[in-house]
Amino acid sequence: MPKAHVASFGRFRRSHEFWLLLVILGLCAGLGFANAQFLTLQNLFDLLTSYAFVGILALGLLVVLIAGGIDISFTATASVAQYVTLSLANAYGANWISVFAIAIGIGGALGALNAVFIQKLRIPSIIVSIATLNIFYGLLIFFTGGKYIYSLPDWFATGIFWFEFEWGKDSSYGVNLQILALALAFLVTWLLLNRTNIGRQIYAMGGNADAAQRLGFHVFGLNILVYGYMGVMAGIASLIQAQLAQSVAPTVLVGKELDVVAAVVLGGASLMGGVGTVLGTFLGLTLLAVLQNGIILLGVSSYWSPFFVGLVILISVSATAWSQRERRTRSARA
Amino acid sequence: MDRRQTLKLIGGTAALAGAGFPGFAFAQAQQEMVTVVKIAGIPWFNALEKGIQKGAKDFSINATMVGPANVDPAQQVKLLEDLIAKKVNVIGLVPLDVKVCEPVLKRAQAAGIKVITHEGPEQEGRDWNVELIDSVRFGEVQMERLAKDMGGEGDYVVYVGTLTTPLHNKWADAAIAYQQKNFPKMKLVADRFPGADEIDTSQRTTLDVIKAYPNLRGILGFGSNGPIGAGNAVRQQRLAKKIAVVGTVLPSQAKSLIADDTIREGFLWNPTDAGYAMVAVAKLVLDGKPITDGVEVPGLGKAAVDVAGKQIKVDKIMRINKETIDGLIAGGL
Repeated sequence: MPKAHVASFGRFRRSHEFWLLLVILGLCAGLGFANAQFLTLQNLFDLLTSYAFVGILALGLLVVLIAGGIDISFTATASVAQYVTLSLANAYGANWISVFAIAIGIGGALGALNAVFIQKLRIPSIIVSIATLNIFYGLLIFFTGGKYIYSLPDWFATGIFWFEFEWGKDSSYGVNLQILALALAFLVTWLLLNRTNIGRQIYAMGGNADAAQRLGFHVFGLNILVYGYMGVMAGIASLIQAQLAQSVAPTVLVGKELDVVAAVVLGGASLMGGVGTVLGTFLGLTLLAVLQNGIILLGVSSYWSPFFVGLVILISVSATAWSQRERRTRSARA
Repeated sequence: MDRRQTLKLIGGTAALAGAGFPGFAFAQAQQEMVTVVKIAGIPWFNALEKGIQKGAKDFSINATMVGPANVDPAQQVKLLEDLIAKKVNVIGLVPLDVKVCEPVLKRAQAAGIKVITHEGPEQEGRDWNVELIDSVRFGEVQMERLAKDMGGEGDYVVYVGTLTTPLHNKWADAAIAYQQKNFPKMKLVADRFPGADEIDTSQRTTLDVIKAYPNLRGILGFGSNGPIGAGNAVRQQRLAKKIAVVGTVLPSQAKSLIADDTIREGFLWNPTDAGYAMVAVAKLVLDGKPITDGVEVPGLGKAAVDVAGKQIKVDKIMRINKETIDGLIAGGL
């Protein structure tokens, strides 16, 4: 093995992601052993479809956390984008390109609004996003009266289905809208954070905002981009959620913030800023998804499932913390 | 107390005295009932309001409905306090939180106001609670329907909103007990699953349950989004012929799933009837008619009455199937 690869593997072995991966692999092996249905392509597609909504939001939040901020208004942003976009589509007709353009536009604009308050008035981002969460959601409920939309345009309700394959007698699987959107979101976020100059600036800003400013970074522009990106992800996530649920319910998304925050933080992103990876977020999301899925497949009683979810999260976080403590003491000795 | 405050007080008393007499005269002419609901503006309570308006016309009571802008027990209390100050004759209430509402209702009763609740079998400080369904019967009827589709045998699961939602779990208890007694060949394969208040959660749960229990033949969903999410998943897996979905749903939401027979039948009570029943019971109370078991509630028929428990039940389970659904949707449900 070339020296560079050894060094990078050594780095990976010491990282948070490595330990998370071990926990997940252990969990998957156990579940696969216990239930033959777990390690099937069918279950993989079901999981990706079910968790695409949380996953796409998690990627948006990852960027915000790395930049040193926090945003919890994204569920309200998603609700607004979903409701407005699909109301317009019902009233005036639309196609895939136009619904995504509208949802992305609304999400991006609402996200950028957060950035304006945070940057121009220097209000802590958590306060701003708590306020905007309530404002966006309050206005939505006021104007819609909380009414659900049950009838979606036919082409939207049908969704997309690529590379279809048969499963069992009647069911068939394929790459659907949710999986496609999730994959694209991962790709774009990874490119943004790892392959662009802006990505490096976002890490730098999250690590030390003052230093970034003195270095001449355009901090306001970066914040608009970061919170706007979160909003864009909320817009995309909202549409694929509506497609999955086959309806729009204005009250159902708000309250799901914690699942998203959990996935990102479990993946190693720091609430203090400057730290976090796309791989980590993917693993954090995977751990949550596999847990929920596995608990039902194992036949664990619903009354016990919160306990086991909490337990596994605690174990995985402890493993990471323990490995880091070991390293610190070792380097202290050396 | 300074002079300005004293003046204000005197002025206020005079205004109250002046307003008192015409108010009294008005009360003689037509008695007033105001019903406080959980939240204003949602389809469910819009339908309930229709029933109240119909009752107002039929029984010559000035009956209206108000509700908070969002689901907040404190706002309900505030509305109730306003009604005590207004000296209405009857307060109707669909309580959000029975503990929070209790003190203010007791004050209302002390002020001579009659209190009629709906969906509040545990509410203290009421004269009567009106229900359109019997919780036990409501669970049993749905189990009966599921059993019919499953031919009385095979694996099934039950969904509830949360593991602690009182009504859902009461229905689930009744349904499961009924199955054990009458359909011994049916089997509940797992403890009840939460999440039936959200479409995507019950959809995900259903996909997992189908894999975990390959012999599954039936899903019983309590919580209006449970059968919808289950139906979406079953339809997506093209298992509608094998797995029967039954449960509580809103007609307009369940339209396509009922149409293609994924949801075999939905069950609910009609909120319009509930609004009407509250006014009808208020009328009986205001007229001083004795309310005993088997009493005839005008427009709704005989009611089962538990005098000690202050419960009035009219059996009005609404069945949502291919025959009834169009009419119900046209009625705004």
